[in-house]
Amino acid sequence: MESPFWDMMGMLGIYAPLALGAIGSILGCSAGGQAACGAMLDVESGYGRLVGLSALPSSQTIYGIVVMLSLNRTIEIESAPGLFAIGSLCGVALLFSGWFQGKCCASAIHATKSKPEIFGLSAAPAAIVEGFAVFAFIFALILAGSLPAATGGV
Amino acid sequence: MTTYYTLVASLPPLPRSFDAGPIPITASTLRHRLSMLTDADRFVTDQLADFFRWDRQPIERSDGDVIARHQQLKRQIRNPLVLRLVEHRFEVRTLVAALRCQRDGAPRPELPALPVSTWIRRHWDKAGFGSSSRYPWVAVFCQALDEKQPKHAQYELFSELWQVWSRLDQQYHFTFESVVLYLARWEILFRWSSQNTELGQQRFDDLVEDILGSSVVPHRESALEFSVGDDRVASP
Repeated sequence: MESPFWDMMGMLGIYAPLALGAIGSILGCSAGGQAACGAMLDVESGYGRLVGLSALPSSQTIYGIVVMLSLNRTIEIESAPGLFAIGSLCGVALLFSGWFQGKCCASAIHATKSKPEIFGLSAAPAAIVEGFAVFAFIFALILAGSLPAATGGV
Repeated sequence: MTTYYTLVASLPPLPRSFDAGPIPITASTLRHRLSMLTDADRFVTDQLADFFRWDRQPIERSDGDVIARHQQLKRQIRNPLVLRLVEHRFEVRTLVAALRCQRDGAPRPELPALPVSTWIRRHWDKAGFGSSSRYPWVAVFCQALDEKQPKHAQYELFSELWQVWSRLDQQYHFTFESVVLYLARWEILFRWSSQNTELGQQRFDDLVEDILGSSVVPHRESALEFSVGDDRVASP
C-alpha cells in the first residue's frame, strides 16, 4: 500500500463501526440512565428493571466490535474504499440507533414509572430501533465478505 | 438544547384534570428537584414563579399597574415558551376583566397591548364580545357568572389554561420546556386545591385512616395544617 490517504481511509473504515457505535451507546445509555435515576426518586420498587432498560443501547458497541473484526485486514488500494464506505456508514447507523434507542428507553422508563403494567410494551419501540441496528450490522458483515480479498488478513 | 432526563423522570405525573386528584408532589419536594436545573434555566423558572406570585390579584392593583407589569415582563422574559405562557395568561385575564366590566355596565377598561384587546375594542357592544367561536369557554364562563357561581367560573378559566398548557406539553420531551409546563400546571393544581380545604382535609383523613388506622386520627388536624402551610411558603 503506497497511498497514505487510502491507508488512512481504510483504517477509518475499519475502526469507525466501533468508535461510532460506542458513541451511540454512550449517548443512549446516558439518556436512559439519567431517566432511570430520575424515576428511582419517584418510585418505591422495580429499580433493577429501570436500570436494565437503560442499558439496552450497549449492544451497538458489541455490533461495532464484531464489524470491526470482520473488516480488519491488511489494507490494499483495491479494498480501502470499500472498507471506508462499509465501516463508516455502518458506524453512523449504529451511532444513531444507539442514541435514539436511549431516547426510547428514557420515554419507556418515564411511562413505566406511573404505569408499571406497560413495562414490556413500552420497551417495544426501543426493540424496534435495535432491529435497524441489527440490519446494519448483519449486512455490513455480508458486504465485508465481498470486498477484494486481502493478501494476509489479520 | 439542554435536556433534563433525570429531572423530568423524577417528577410524578400530573392528573388528567386539575380537579381529579391531590397534588402529586409538594412544593418543597418540587423545589428540591428543581435544583437540578442549570443556573440560566433556574433564572427562567424564577421569572415564571415571580409571575405566578404576582398573578394573585390584590384588590388595590390598578389597570395601569397591570399594563406596566405586562410591558416589563415582555422586555424581561427571553424564553419564548415562558413568554407565550405569560401572554396567554394575560390574554385570559384581560378578557375576563373586560367581560366583568361589560356585564356591570362599567366603561371600557384600559387594555394591555394584546391581540385580544383589539378584538374587545372592536366588539365592545356585543355580548361576550362575540368571542364564543374564538374562545369557547367565554359562554360557559358568562353563564356561571349569571348563575352567581364564581367557583364554577374559576373552574372554567382553569380548565382553559390546563387544556392549552397540556396540549403544549405533548410537544416536548425531557426538555426545559417540559419542566416549565409542568410547573405552570402544578401551579393551577395548587391554586385549585388550596380553594378546597374541606376536600383536602377529608382526603387527608382518609389517607391517615387507610395507612395507620383509626388510632391516630385525633392528631390529623395539626399534620394537615403543617403540610398546607409548608406548601404555601414554598410555592414556586
